[in-house]
This record gives sequence, C-alpha cells and structure tokens, in this order.
Amino acid sequence: MAAAAVSPAPPKAVVRPPRERVSSWPLVDRLFYALCWISGLALCAIALWIVLYMLVKGVSYLKPSLLTSSPVSGSIQQTSNGGFLDPIEGTLLVTAVGTLIAAPLGVAIAVWLTEYARPSWLARAVDSAIEMLAGVPSIVLALFGLIFFSQGFLTFVSQGAASGALGQSFIAAGAVMALIALPLIVAATREGLEALPPRIREASFALGKTKATTSRYVLLPAIKPSIAAGVVLGMGRIIGDTAIITVLLGGSAQLTEPVGHTPVWGLLRGTGSTLTSYVYYNSPAGEGNAHEKAYAAAFVLLLMVLALNFLVTRLTVTGERGPAAASRLRMKLAESFAGRRWS
Amino acid sequence: MRPLRTLAVSVVAILALTIPSAAFGRALIIGGSTSVLPLAQKLAAAYHKATHQPTPKVTGGQSDIGISGVAEGRFDIGDSSRDPIEGVDPHGLTFVRIARDGVCVVTNKANPIANMSTSTVEEIFTGQKRDWSEVPGAKVSGPIEVFDRDGASGTQDAFQHIFLEENRKITSSATAKTSNGLEQQVVGIKKGAIGFVSFAYAAGLNPVGYNGVACNLRNARSGQYLGVRNFWMATKGNPKGATLKFLKWVTSGKKAVNNIINTQWISVY
Amino acid sequence: MRGGVLQSLRSRRRNDGGRRSTPASGAAGDRRAELALGALGVLVLVLIGAMVVTVAIKAWPSFRYNGLGWFGPGAEVDTELRAMRESAPLKGHGLLYFTAWPLLWGTIVTTLAAVALALVVSTFAAIFLTEFAPPRMRRTLDPVIRLLAGVPSVIYGLIGILAIAPWVDQHLLSESRKKSVLYVVQLNGENLTTGTLILTVMILPIMVAITASALSSVPPAWREGSVALGVNRWRTIRRVSLRTVWPAVAAGTVLATARALGEAVMLAMVAGSTPFAANPLDGLTFLFEPVRPLAATIFQESEGLTIGPLSHTIYAMGAVLLLSAAMLSLAGWAVKQMLVRQGIRA
Repeated sequence: MAAAAVSPAPPKAVVRPPRERVSSWPLVDRLFYALCWISGLALCAIALWIVLYMLVKGVSYLKPSLLTSSPVSGSIQQTSNGGFLDPIEGTLLVTAVGTLIAAPLGVAIAVWLTEYARPSWLARAVDSAIEMLAGVPSIVLALFGLIFFSQGFLTFVSQGAASGALGQSFIAAGAVMALIALPLIVAATREGLEALPPRIREASFALGKTKATTSRYVLLPAIKPSIAAGVVLGMGRIIGDTAIITVLLGGSAQLTEPVGHTPVWGLLRGTGSTLTSYVYYNSPAGEGNAHEKAYAAAFVLLLMVLALNFLVTRLTVTGERGPAAASRLRMKLAESFAGRRWS
Repeated sequence: MRPLRTLAVSVVAILALTIPSAAFGRALIIGGSTSVLPLAQKLAAAYHKATHQPTPKVTGGQSDIGISGVAEGRFDIGDSSRDPIEGVDPHGLTFVRIARDGVCVVTNKANPIANMSTSTVEEIFTGQKRDWSEVPGAKVSGPIEVFDRDGASGTQDAFQHIFLEENRKITSSATAKTSNGLEQQVVGIKKGAIGFVSFAYAAGLNPVGYNGVACNLRNARSGQYLGVRNFWMATKGNPKGATLKFLKWVTSGKKAVNNIINTQWISVY
Repeated sequence: MRGGVLQSLRSRRRNDGGRRSTPASGAAGDRRAELALGALGVLVLVLIGAMVVTVAIKAWPSFRYNGLGWFGPGAEVDTELRAMRESAPLKGHGLLYFTAWPLLWGTIVTTLAAVALALVVSTFAAIFLTEFAPPRMRRTLDPVIRLLAGVPSVIYGLIGILAIAPWVDQHLLSESRKKSVLYVVQLNGENLTTGTLILTVMILPIMVAITASALSSVPPAWREGSVALGVNRWRTIRRVSLRTVWPAVAAGTVLATARALGEAVMLAMVAGSTPFAANPLDGLTFLFEPVRPLAATIFQESEGLTIGPLSHTIYAMGAVLLLSAAMLSLAGWAVKQMLVRQGIRA
C-alpha cells in the first residue's frame, strides 16, 4: 500500500481525435482523391509496362552472338544474320568523345559563373546561352554542326568530300553531343558550388590562397559527387539521342568505317553507327526491316540507361553527405595541424 | 604550366598523326538512288578487293539528291535510277550508264495477284479503283492502300514513264515512301497494299506480272518484260583521278564486275 | 617530431602554388585564370550566336520569297517539297514556294494536347506522390520516374510503331472510317492520337518530378494550419499547396513544352509520315489523321540539304524552332523571377 502511494500515477493517455477518414469527405473531394490514386497508379503501370515489354521482347530476341558480331555489310536488309557490335562501339565512342569535351568545359564555365561572373552582363549572357542550349531541339544543333564541320579547313576532323569536308564523323557527332550535355553538367556543378557554405572559401582566402587555387584545390574536390552526377546525367542524354547521330555520323551500312590507317585518330575521323541509329534503322521507319534486331538493340540500350540511372542515384545519395562531410574532414585536418603546431 | 605543356604535346601528336594519313588517297563518296544502292555497295567492296584502293563510301537519299549532291560537291559520284532530264538536272554533269534494272509492281503475299493489265495498273495507281473488290484476281478485301515513292525518287520517275500514260499522275492520297527498302517493308506488312520496287527489293513480296509477262530477271534480260530502266552514275564534269579509275573499272565489262551486276540486275558492257 | 611537422607544413605551404603565395603574383595568376575561364564561357556564347546567325542567314531566302505566306496554308507540303527536289516549280510559283501551315498545325496540336494532358495527370500524380502514397510506394516511385525520364526517344518510337500503332489500327480504326477519307489520305495506326499519347508519357516524368519537389517544399506549417482548421486534406492541397506551387508548375510546363517541341525522332516514327493538316471538322476522324510536326519534318528531310531551295526551307523550319525555343527560354526566365519573388525554390 505504501508502494501504491509512492509509485506515480500512470500518465493519462493523451486523447487524440481519430484520423479523418476519406470516406467522410464530400463526394467531389473523394472523386479527386480517387483521381490522384488513379494517376499515380497509372504512372506506375506505364513505367512497369514499358520495362516489362522491353524486357520480354529483348530477352526473347537477344542472343550473345548479336553482341559480338558486326552488322552484315553489302546488304541493306538485316534480318538474316549479323549483330550490332559496331553500333555498341559507336555508342561508347560518341559518349566518350562527348563527355570528354563537355565535362571540363562545363565545370570550367560553372566555376566562372559562380566564383567570378565579371562583368555581370557577360555572366548573364552566358547563363542565358546555356539555358537556351538546354531548350534547343537537337536536330537544329545537328544541322548547325553539319554546316560547321563541312567547311574545308575542318577536313582533318572527318574526311574530304568532293568539295569541302564530309562533315560526318565520330568527332563531329561527339562535339555536338557535348553541347547537349553541357547544360546538365553546368547546372549540377553550379548547384554543388552554391551549396558549399561561404566559410570554406573564406577560410581558404584567409590562408592566402587565390580564387583560382581555392576553386581548384578546395571547392571542386568538395563537390566531386555533384560533378559526377551531372556528368552521368549528361552521358544519359548523349546515349539517348538519335537526331544528331543520323545527321552527323554518316554510316549507311551501320558499320564503323575508320579513315586511313592511324590507330585511334582514324577511328575518330571515321563514320559509323550507334545503338540509337541502329534501332531506328531496323524499325519499320528505317530500311533494315529487322524488328527482332531492333528490339534486342533497344533492350541493350535500355540496360545502359538503367545502369547510368542507378549510378546517378548512388552518386546523389552520397552527394547529400558529400560536401558537408568533406568540409568537416578538412576542418578536422586543419585543427589537428594547428593543434600540433602550438602544442 | 603542366596542363599547358600536356595540351601542346597532345596537339602536336595529333597533327603528327593526321598528316601522314592525309598522304593516303581518300575514299570516294558515292550517294543517291536507293535502287542503285545495293549494287553500288557490292561494287565498292569488290573494287577495294580488286585494286586495294580505299573502299568508296556509299549512301542513299534517292536519285535527285544524288544528282544535286554531286553538283554541289558533296558526293564524288551521284547514283541515279532515272534518265538525265535536260533543263531539270544541274548543268555540267556527265552521266555514265552502268547497268539496267527492272521495276516490279508488288503486292502483299496474302494477295498473290499473278498479272495485271496496263489499264488495271493505271486505274489502281491513279485512284480510279479504290477497293480490292473491283480488281479481278484479288485475294483480299477492303480499300486499296497505294504506296508511292517520294518526288526525289528515280524509281518513281521510271514507274511514271513506263507504267502510266503521259499525263496521268499517281493519286495524291497515296503514301510516299522515301526508299525502296521502306516501300518493300510497308507492302510486306499491310495486306491491302500495292506499290512498286526495284528488282532487288522484291524479296518477300508478290511481284505482279505486267500484261501477261512475269516480272523476273530472265524476262527482263530477254526484253519481254517492259518495265526496265537504266542505272547511271553522274560526275561533275568529266571524271578525273580516282573517280575516273572507279568508273573505268565498273564499265570495263570484266567478268568479276559483270558477275556482281548479273545477280539481280542486267549488265550492259 | 615537432620540427618535422613544422618543416613539412612550411614545405607544404610552399608546394601548393609557392609562386602564388605573394599577393602580387597571386592576383596575376587569378586574373589569368579568370580570363581563361571567362573565355570558355564566351566560346559557348559565340557558338550559340553563330548558330542563330547561320540558321537565320540560311533561312532568310525562304522567308523573303514567301513572306508571311510561309506560315499559311496553300498547296500540300509534300507537293511543294517534291517540286524543290525535282527542280520543277509548281505552276505560278517559284522553287522556294512553301506553305508550312500543316506542319505548324501538327506541331501546335500535338504539343498543346500533350502538355495539357501531362499537366493534369502530372499534377494529380504529384499530389499522390507527396500526400496520399504509402511511404514504401513513394520510395519505389522515385527511381521509376527518373527511369521514365531517361528512356531514349527512339525506344518510345519503337514501342509506338511496333506495339501501339498496330493496336490502334486494329481496334480503334474501322474500315468504314478509313474508306471515308481514302480519297484524301490513308489512315493507319500512326496518327495524331498515338503520337500525342506517347509524347505525353515522355514529358510526364519532368513535370511530376518538378511538381512533387515543389509540393514537398511547401512549409508544413501552412498545411498543418489548414488541417487544424478542419479543412480536409484534399481541400488543403487545392487551396493551400497548389496555389503556392503554381510558379514551379509553370516552370515545369515550360520545360516540358520545350521538350515536346523539339521531339523529332519519336514523332517521325509514330505520328504518321504525311504532312497533313488534321481537320477538326472531320469529327472523331480528326483524332486518327496523320500529322508531321516541324521537328519530325526536319529530321526526315535532313538528307536533302544539298538541294538549294530545299536547304533554305529546312533552315527556315529550324529558325522557327529556334525562335520558339528562345521564347520558351524567356518564359522560363520570367517564371523563375516570379518564383524568386515568392521565395520558393523550384
């Protein structure tokens, strides 16, 4: 009894009103609620259907021999035999060239836009130019690229035509692809840079470092995940583009045709095809007349896109912790050095 | 300094690599008719094997694109499957005949019409007859889906001259396809389709006889089948240098060349 | 030990840009870096400028010849293009004669219809995603939407032309309907409806992502306050959240419109390859008539750039697309200003 008197009374349970049920809403609101659910489920269903359909068709038509053999040359019809090794090579080549051009350019422009941006009218102009680049249809960029690379002095980039240059090569296509990946890289890098707290820059300036050194040795390493995410997004955009390939990569036989006999440069100057142009060519809109090959190639393409998406997810998840963690690490290092120096 | 040095070294290296490659002859660029395309591709491959010159690059685009392309300097050789037309073609081009080819009226395999007369072909393609029920021997029912070729096509030109009378034109409601391959594809898919293709593209379709003569290579060679036209290769001015070498080889009448041509076309040398 | 650390510190400070440790040379190095980086930015600016100027110069002959009639109706587009290719001008006109109305109409109809449809569906789906979906479903839907946004347009085109168009042909198009317009155009599964539906699916993910992220950044206090006053969740969303996020939704719409305008490959494969001006007066048949939007036309005619008049016409079409991209950019900027003023990050 003494125990009962000493022990505290059990806390009164907090009485909360029951959660509002949707069934209690007026009819109109319930209708909209249903619409929301339907839209969400429809979105899910569409995505699922696309993936499953491509999976089924791709797996049924994809054979390992397709990945290792080249398209049949000398005949337009692809139904009989031959695979798509050359288009896969082409996709990898164009993506590599495009990314190698776009990544340094994009990071440099983003650094300039966030850290320097003087004179301001120029910075605004460059900003709008990059934004407009994001909205221009790739077919228009391809047309411009064709004019640009058909000039006679640029024959070393592709090959000679009867007058001027052919204008179609991996370098030409890769260069224009870099233009469509550029806005994504610039945007991702700028976001990363703007998310860095100003005290990092101030600490570096206090140590006597210039803006250039700061950007290069402190800021950019800190936002590596953002840059990587932007680059991978750009790669995804490059892999999926068909219009630029059709205009700037030539290759009517869907084979990689290098120019001359120099090892890498001849390949870059040559024409070829990519998975996207191969899929278009073998669909009923193109002349290959090989639906099965088109499905198989589209499946491989989709797998590449899925892999890139997965990479972006991994990078952005780490990225959320990245800059903060890196700066904390740097501060810890600075503190430990300062501590040791005066201890 | 180091990045600048790396840049300088790589630029010099690239230049060093490109200059020697410029010393080799460059490949010829051939483009134009999609009818000539398979023949040109085969000839290009054989030319490379026989003479070790770089393989010419062959593209399509249809005959008119080939002719204008060679006039503009984009192509070294323009393929054409229609005869040159005074006043329409750009000035200063030289046309070299390389082979002859046949054009077949084709239907889907589900509709194996064996033969059509001149009047039937005209009536169908000009849109006078619109339903398969009006055509004797048709095995499908429903509206006739006519497939035409694009205006730049030499095959369309040949079809107009051979199968249709002077002033009759193909109905404007026909869907125009931009190559033999696409025409072949669509007629092969749609049961009620009718169109026309070059010989080499009649695989998988039903070639319709014309006025009692079956459309095949033998009848074309013998002269019985009337739907035959020329293949031309055009150059700007007289052919020179590498172009001259290639054209000489193609028109040489050598056994190797004619063997290739006679697979699906008719050799003329 | 201490000496060693001091030594290494001193040498470390000298190693990373020892030359720049004095202010004067540091400033010079900074100036060089600024000029170099700025030059790269100017390079991109010059490239865009060169592109606009080149396209405008090459397009000018076509606009000068046709005047405002370039945008109007006239002869059939295919007939005009054919005349250019054969160098055989149509009666009473020159070679440059071109009336792009069917193409413009096709572009307008497909783009507006797709954006309108996507706006409605994406708003509901975004609300679902942020408010009503169970957490597990939300976590799976995020990567799914990102995947949809990344699928290449040629794959959409392939599925459209091999799976959806034949289905439409068989189940939605009757023979009598085909016969009714046979004298003008042939109907099949590749038409306005198929193209618009697939275009909607293509631009949905962008809009859903933007709307969802905007909805989740509405201050929770506002929503909670509304619910505390007794308003049910749907009305809260409608009255509070949607009203707050409409600038973000507008920004997303602008982005989606730009994507829809520039879509060339998928529409070239699926919307029918006849540049026909679908006639709304045809009733239901209007939905099944083929169209060919501007970007798809450029894509399909890109081989004809060697023929003079044809190349001018193609560049004219490109100029129209560039102009609309620039105007959309401007609209996007205006919306972003509104966003900044409202203080909500898109």
